[in-house]
Amino acid sequence: MENLKLEATKYTPEISLDASGTVSLTGKSYPENTFEFYAPMMAWLEEYFAGNAVEKTTINMEIIYFNSSSSKLFFDFFDLLEDNQEDHKIEINWIFDKENESAQEAGEDFIEDFEALNINLVAK
Amino acid sequence: MDIGEIQRMVEDGGIVFLSYGGFLSQALISAMTEALEKEAEYSDISMNASNNIFTVFIELSQNIMNYSKSEQVNDKSLKSQGLIVVSKSERGNYYIHSQNIISLQDKNNIELKLIEIQSLDKDGIKKRYRELRKSGQNTHSKGGGIGFYEIAKRCDSIEYEFKQINEDKFYFHLKTTITIDR
Repeated sequence: MENLKLEATKYTPEISLDASGTVSLTGKSYPENTFEFYAPMMAWLEEYFAGNAVEKTTINMEIIYFNSSSSKLFFDFFDLLEDNQEDHKIEINWIFDKENESAQEAGEDFIEDFEALNINLVAK
Repeated sequence: MDIGEIQRMVEDGGIVFLSYGGFLSQALISAMTEALEKEAEYSDISMNASNNIFTVFIELSQNIMNYSKSEQVNDKSLKSQGLIVVSKSERGNYYIHSQNIISLQDKNNIELKLIEIQSLDKDGIKKRYRELRKSGQNTHSKGGGIGFYEIAKRCDSIEYEFKQINEDKFYFHLKTTITIDR
């Protein structure tokens, strides 16, 4: 399976989908058409978990700030991960600056909403 | 556009450091967000408060952009009249005003959400935000339909006003206050 990499823009994060088992999102997220922007990432993940996944998948998310449609998209993203967590080993690192309380709170909310997922809060 | 409205926004807000009226595009929104980042850095605002300002600004300006691009406002003379103003008071509190023209149908949808938001405390807003995000009941092609709840989570007060233009068009003015703890 091919890797997929998207460079960061002023309003979208750097996205790195590596078939060796590491998925990273780093930056800001407020695209105009959020669902459209993230569609290739979601399609890649569907294909990855449908028979291409390695033993353990690590997700690193470091989003400084994001708009409400990105918040909905991240919810759908975690939903997709949860659908696959029984058959795959998935570890999620929600990374935030220690002074960024709203990013921390966003991570805490996802932990509560997705009890079956293994989400670590990583303050840096 | 009623110039008096702009004057009023400027007067009650103290120092205006960003204002834009006209057609909003994603490129403009991102350029203005960068300007806000510079202001936040220069004024030494905490990362948390800064992010609240950026998020509220982005939600409001993307709202205006989406409404002006939708079919709802099909009268070209009214289409580009979005207005966004960011100001701060002497004490350093931040105000973000937005004004745009919306249809009666949108007014009714927005008003229901705002009435609900005004009836809730901060914890209630956060709870409702997560419920709506989870259920997806407000989800549409552009987002989760939770933008006003996002704004409410991140500011300290919301004031709004609808002013009728004709039988199907309204000015929608929203003012948010973000208090800065120093």
